[in-house]
Amino acid sequence: MQVRTGGDDRVGLSVDEDRCIGIGQCELLEPEVFQLGDEDAISRVVDGAGLPRARALEVADRCPSSAISVAELPGV
Amino acid sequence: MVEAMVDRPASPADIANPALYLDGIPHAGFTAIREAEGLVWHSYGATAASGFWVVTRHAEVREVSKDPEVFSSAIGHTNLWDLEADALEARRSLIDSDAPDHTRLRRVVSRVFTPKATRSWEDTTRRIASELVDGFVERGGGDWVEQVAAPLPIRVILAILGVPEEDADYLVELTDHLVEGTGDRPSLPDDAYGNITPVRLLPFNSPASHALFEYGEKMRGLRLAEPADDLVTGLVQAEVDGECLTSAEYKNFFQLLVFAGNETTRTAIAHGGMAFADHPEQWRAMVSDPGLVTTAVDEVIRWATPVLHMRRTASRDTELAGTPIAAGDKVVMWYAAANRDPDAFCDPFQFDVGRTENPHFAFGGGGPHFCLGAFLARMEIQVLLEEMVKRGVSLERQGEPERIASNFVHGVASVDLAVA
Repeated sequence: MQVRTGGDDRVGLSVDEDRCIGIGQCELLEPEVFQLGDEDAISRVVDGAGLPRARALEVADRCPSSAISVAELPGV
Repeated sequence: MVEAMVDRPASPADIANPALYLDGIPHAGFTAIREAEGLVWHSYGATAASGFWVVTRHAEVREVSKDPEVFSSAIGHTNLWDLEADALEARRSLIDSDAPDHTRLRRVVSRVFTPKATRSWEDTTRRIASELVDGFVERGGGDWVEQVAAPLPIRVILAILGVPEEDADYLVELTDHLVEGTGDRPSLPDDAYGNITPVRLLPFNSPASHALFEYGEKMRGLRLAEPADDLVTGLVQAEVDGECLTSAEYKNFFQLLVFAGNETTRTAIAHGGMAFADHPEQWRAMVSDPGLVTTAVDEVIRWATPVLHMRRTASRDTELAGTPIAAGDKVVMWYAAANRDPDAFCDPFQFDVGRTENPHFAFGGGGPHFCLGAFLARMEIQVLLEEMVKRGVSLERQGEPERIASNFVHGVASVDLAVA
């Protein structure tokens, strides 16, 4: 049995709504974490969603408008 | 080569002469430039100062793309030549703007091109693609550009805009003239299509832009009188921060959407057809494992690199690849070269439909000007490949393509392919 040890390495994410231009790269990469608004196409992070740190940094790096930042999850 | 400016190492190869591109992308020249230390300076235009820095490595194209404050899209122009201030203002679109204008303009249309919104056009695209592939098979092949590569994307973008499909041929004719405007000599007299605007104020210096503007104005009138559920209505009703688009912004937007919505994807499909004809083992691999279609789509797009370069202009003194760059210098990102950079791609000159690591820059180098229609282009190509795989249509070359003499778009005017 594989024991999950990576749990404490999960981080939260946030989107700077002033920088987001609604390209949708984040939603495509992590649809469980990011959702674009139907009306304004601004990306928002699903409540409580997080990613392993390395993946979070990769997704943030691939945001064309550099709108995503990685944040510590509350209570970690 | 014309002499370089003092202390600026001259490019070891000419990659700007549009005529070179009649034989395809001058990859040998780009390789020599990529392997040179730092950056090299390419002569262009009348004076030593009107040349440009050639950015060919993947890492540096990315660096330029992701730093729009230093590498501006709004200064000078995003093509190789400079525009005078009045021309730049008259022609300014999403492409030639920086934040906050860029953010404002982009938000007018972003919701139409999200991954989710794009999926809503998949059925329409499949209907059009099926019809075109069936026609091509029935005729036993022919000009792949005229029969498939050109009509598919123009018909899809016109459906999204809400423009009648019967006008597709006319709009393709106009955007073809715009592409010719990036070549050596104008293809049309300045007064073509009843144009009276000095051509230097028109996109691509082309009187065909005047015709596209007129067409866009006609659509605007129709949708103002009778709104519909389409993108033209979205543009004419758009209010961002309480302001409507100006008349010039609307015209340039309409022109950009019609141009970029069809010329680029058409070019990708044209090169895709040739690539599969030239690499039948890749086609067979995809037919026996249709799961490869997804990676094949991005490989077709990398292989094609429809837009060969975009220019930025340094807003202040800076440094790139250890080379000092002065404020006002042109810095040109050659996606065509970055997409063959061996530091970013394994066997970059191999067409490989199973390529899983494919960080190509055919949609731009990963900065805020990332192609608005990227997901739409991918969806169109995916649907086309799926419909071809489903029918077992494979392609064969019937001679050389007729290429476009342009250093800006990797254009193919026509290429005969047979159905095998």
